[in-house]
Amino acid sequence: MVYTSKSVKQTENIGSELSKSLSSGSVVALFGGLGMGKTTFVRGMAKGLGLEAHVSSPTFALVHDYGGNPTFYHFDMYRINSWDGLYSTGFFDYLNNNSIIVIEWSENIENSLPNEYIRVNFEYGHEPDERIITITKRGEKHENTCN
Amino acid sequence: MKILAIDSSACAASAAVMEDERLMSEFFLNAGLTHSQTLMPMVDSALKCAGLSCSDIDLFVVTNGPGSFTGVRIGIAAVKGLAQAVNKKCIGVSTLEAMAYNLLGFTCIACCVMDARCEQVYAAMFSINIDKITRITQDSAIKITELSGMIRNCDLPVVLVGDGAEMCYNKLSPELPELRLAAECNRFQRASGAALASKLKDPVDFYNLGINYLRLPQAERELKK
Repeated sequence: MVYTSKSVKQTENIGSELSKSLSSGSVVALFGGLGMGKTTFVRGMAKGLGLEAHVSSPTFALVHDYGGNPTFYHFDMYRINSWDGLYSTGFFDYLNNNSIIVIEWSENIENSLPNEYIRVNFEYGHEPDERIITITKRGEKHENTCN
Repeated sequence: MKILAIDSSACAASAAVMEDERLMSEFFLNAGLTHSQTLMPMVDSALKCAGLSCSDIDLFVVTNGPGSFTGVRIGIAAVKGLAQAVNKKCIGVSTLEAMAYNLLGFTCIACCVMDARCEQVYAAMFSINIDKITRITQDSAIKITELSGMIRNCDLPVVLVGDGAEMCYNKLSPELPELRLAAECNRFQRASGAALASKLKDPVDFYNLGINYLRLPQAERELKK
């Protein structure tokens, strides 16, 4: 699914819409550089999940817990550059939990993503404020990100 | 001698009190709840229900890995705190070795496996000869496919134990029809197993209690694509 967003509000709405299709165990991996609207998208997801939480990038905390049932966790892998570093965030333990996980800077940990996840790519559009947001489901049987 | 043992190294968690050879109390949970919420209530119950308090304990035992990063640290931190508070020693036991004690009384090879995600397991093999347990392989992090070669070389029946047992059984039993899966009640690491395994080890001060992290094969690859 490809969306074009022309504003912060629209990016939030796309995130909110996606969140309604999620359930316990869902992993959403965001790809796209600085200023693309990833955190805005996550804010929309939180709203869509009915959460009042204040959403911000967990660049230093690595993970934010926004509560909810299933619990909504927000990771930021900007500072992660090794398997040991990733392991010590407890990331793999969160995958075992009954939770919904969204990951910013998935580029940095792409080889550690679970077999099944939802991929969200952010790219620039034609206008300065335009973003092309592409959402795809990964995890067909022929595709194994662990190999 | 009274031992308080704790395991929170993976999805299941447990706490047990043993006095010499007798298991006085044991609480076990495998309900997907977080250890930070359930472990200390279990420790408290294991002591109280046995009519004991923390100061009655002579030795603290904990599974110190392999396992989940957060889980192992919760158990280690809990035992360090308890041991320091009452000024007693502690022992760290391999999670894989602890679960081999589930098969005590049988004659078989215990193939202890914990799910390390992405088709990988933490694995170790032990020979079980009724009341005697002998380690055959060191704790290691390997791909499930490597495990089949290790199992094929065994001359006794091989029984899979651990939270990776069912996954390995489903993957390997077509090519290894003799492979067996431990019953649900014998499958997971237990605090009492850690207490039993600790008898062969030397106690240490709480500040010398360490964690045994195993490096996964996938860590040799790039994290980025």
